[in-house]
Amino acid sequence: MSSSNKIFTIISHEYTSKIKSKGFIIGTFLAPIAIALILAVTVVFSILQKDSTTLKLAILDNTEFIGEQLVAKDTSKYFLTELNQVDLTDQLNNEEIDGFAILTKSILDDGKVIVYTKGGGGIGYTEALENNLGKIIRNERLKKFNASDSLIHALQAGVHLSTKKVTETGEIEKDSTAQLTYIGYGLGFVMYMLMFIYGSMISRSVVEEKSNRIVEILASSAKPFDILLGKVLAIGGLGLTQILTWMILIGGMLLFAGQIIGLFIDPDTLQAGSMGMSADAATQAKVNEIMSDFPDISFGLIAGFIFYFLSGYFIYSTLFAALGSAVDNDQDAAQLQTPVTLFIVVPILMIQFVMANPDAWWVVAASHFPLFSPILMVVRIAATNVPAWEIILSVIVSISSFFMALWVSAKIYRIGILMTGKKPKFKDIIKWLRQG
Amino acid sequence: MELLKLNNVTKYFGDYKATNNVSFSIKKGQICGLIGPNGAGKTTIIRQITNIYMPDEGEIILFGEPIKPVHQNRIAYLPEERGLYKKIKVIDMLVYFGKLKGLSSKDSFDKSMNWLRKLNADDWVNKKVQDLSKGMSQKIQFIGTILHDPEFLILDEPFSGFDPVNAEILKDIILELKQQGKTIILSTHVMSQVEKLCDDIILINKGQVILEGSLVEIKQSFGRNNLLFEFEGNINNIDIPVGLEIITNSQNRYEFKVLDKNAPNELIQNSVGKININKFVLDLPSIDEIFIETVGRSNLDEDTILEIRKN
Repeated sequence: MSSSNKIFTIISHEYTSKIKSKGFIIGTFLAPIAIALILAVTVVFSILQKDSTTLKLAILDNTEFIGEQLVAKDTSKYFLTELNQVDLTDQLNNEEIDGFAILTKSILDDGKVIVYTKGGGGIGYTEALENNLGKIIRNERLKKFNASDSLIHALQAGVHLSTKKVTETGEIEKDSTAQLTYIGYGLGFVMYMLMFIYGSMISRSVVEEKSNRIVEILASSAKPFDILLGKVLAIGGLGLTQILTWMILIGGMLLFAGQIIGLFIDPDTLQAGSMGMSADAATQAKVNEIMSDFPDISFGLIAGFIFYFLSGYFIYSTLFAALGSAVDNDQDAAQLQTPVTLFIVVPILMIQFVMANPDAWWVVAASHFPLFSPILMVVRIAATNVPAWEIILSVIVSISSFFMALWVSAKIYRIGILMTGKKPKFKDIIKWLRQG
Repeated sequence: MELLKLNNVTKYFGDYKATNNVSFSIKKGQICGLIGPNGAGKTTIIRQITNIYMPDEGEIILFGEPIKPVHQNRIAYLPEERGLYKKIKVIDMLVYFGKLKGLSSKDSFDKSMNWLRKLNADDWVNKKVQDLSKGMSQKIQFIGTILHDPEFLILDEPFSGFDPVNAEILKDIILELKQQGKTIILSTHVMSQVEKLCDDIILINKGQVILEGSLVEIKQSFGRNNLLFEFEGNINNIDIPVGLEIITNSQNRYEFKVLDKNAPNELIQNSVGKININKFVLDLPSIDEIFIETVGRSNLDEDTILEIRKN
C-alpha cells in the first residue's frame, strides 16, 4: 500500500470521527442561526422603537394652537381634552385615561411640559412626545421671529451624503464602501476566531494521541509526515465544510430576510396614506430600502475568504500541531503555542487602522506578511480594490509559506510525538529543528 | 533462516548512545525474549526495527532486505504503553488500525469480527472504547495489533493488565502464532514468561547486548546448576558432599550450588536410611539469576572502568 493511501486512510478517519462530534454539529448549524437571531432581534427592535408606546395621553392645551398640531401628528397617541387638571387627575385615578400632559402658555419661552401618569409604561412615550413636540415648538419659535416657510424648511433639511463608485469602464454604481468595510471587519474577526478554533482543534487532537500513546502505534504504521499531513488536511476539510455550510445557511437566510423583516413593519408607521401607496406597497418599499442598504457581496470576497481561511489554517495548524506534539497536555501546549498565537492577535489590533486606510503602504506591507495575510487581506479585499498583482503575490507567498511551515513542523513533530519526560521549552524545539 | 539481523546499530540522542553498536539476529519462527533493566534501550531498539527511528550507524536487515517503511505492514507492534482512541466505537477503531496496516475496509472489518469472536469479545463491537474495562481494552489492543496477520510480532509486556485466565488465553494465542511460523520478539520484565515462552534471549544493558543465545544453552553455559533439597530428619546425621555449596538453608530446606556433577548422587546415597527426602530438584539457574548476575557484572565493569579512568 502506498504512502498516499495511508494519508487517505488517516484523512478519512480524522474527518469522519470529528464531523460526528456534538461540538462540530452545534457550531456548524446553531452558530449562524444564533447570529441571525441576534441580528433579527436588533433589526426588529430598531423598527419597533419609533412606535414604542401604547400610552394615549390627554392633552390639556392652554396655548390654544400647539395641542391641535400635536394631535395631528399622531391621533393614536394624543387627544385634546376640555377638562381641568383636577378632573383629569380623577380620571387618571379611575384609570379612564393613561395620562395627561399640560401645555402652558409659556411653553414657547421655557419649553417646559409636565406629564402625569400612574408611573410605569416604559420610557417610549417621553421620547415620542419630546420628539413630536420639539418639532412643533421649533417651528412656532421661528414663526415668532417672522421666519418665512422657506427658511423654516431650509433649516430643517440636514446634510445627506451619498457616495457612488466609478468602475473601470466608467459606469457609476452604488458604493457600499462603508458597509463593506464593516463586513470586512466582521470577516476578519470570524477569521481570527476560526484560526483559534481550528488551531486548538488540531492541537488537542495531536496532544490526545500523544497522551493516549496511540501515536506509537500510528508511528509504527505510517510515516510521521503522513500522520501530520493527514490530520492537517482532514481538519482543514472539516473547516471548509463548516464555512460552506455557514455560507449556504446565511445565504438562505438573507433570501428570506426581506419577508421576515416585512412581518415586523407596521404599515401605519409608514404614513402610507400620505404617500398615496397601499399599506402592502409601503411595507415592500421599506423592506427594499432596508435590503438595499445591504451591499452586494462579490464572488471575489467569498473566494478570498475561503482561500485565506485555508492558507491561514494550513500555516497555523501545522505549527500548532508541531508544538502540541512536544507536550502531553492541553495547558502545556497552549503555553508553548503562545508565540504563534501572538501572530494571530496582532492583526486584530491593527484592524481598525486597516479599515480606516486599507491602501496605506504599511498596511499593504503588513497584509503580505504570511502570518498576517489571512485576517488583513480579507479586510482589505472587502474594504478596497486590491490590485490583481497583489493578490497573485499574496497567493504565492501564502502557499510557499504553508510548505515551509509544513517542512518545519514535520521535523518537530517527528521528534516531538515520541518525546517523553521533561517538558521542552521553545528553545529546545528550535534545537530539534537543527538536529532534524 | 534469519528473519531479522542487526549489524552494529548505533543510535544517538544528542551525545548519548541509546543503542551502542548492537548486533544480533533472530531466526524465523522463534520466540525471542528481549530483556534488560529499565532504560537499557529496549524500546529504542524496537523503534528502529519498526521504522519509527532510523539508526545513525549500522544496518537492519528484515525479511532479507534493508529495512524500509513498507515493512511496517508486515510487522505487528504492541507498545508497552497502550493507546486507544477513547471516544469511538471498538469496531471503528479496529477497522482503522487494520487499514493503517494496509488492509482494505472489508478485510479489516471481517478480520476484526473474527478476532472479537475468537476472544469472546463480540458483544463489545458497538461499545465506545472509553466504556471498556482495563482487561477488555487490553484485549482490543491486542486484536488491533495482530489484525493484519503479520509475519513478525513485537510484543512489549503483552500480559500486563490481564487476569490469570485471560493471560493464559493470550499465551495460547502467542504459541499458536508461533506454530503458524510467525516470529515473535517478547520484551518483558516477567522472567517466568521468558522461561515459559522463549527459545532465545537477548539481554540488553546500557544500550549494548550483554548476552545473546538460546535459552537452554545460556543456562547450561552458566554452568551453575542448583539443587533444591527438602527433607525430614536431622541433617547433622549425614555428610554433605564437598561438591555442594550451600546457598541458603533453613531447618528442613537447603539450596545448594552444584560444584561437582557427582555430588547430588552422593547426597542421595548419604541420605538413605538417615533422613527422609521430600523434594530433590536439580535445576538450571533461573533466568532471573542470570539476568541479575549478568546485568550486575556489566554495571560493575562499567563502574570499574570509570573508576580506573578517574584515577
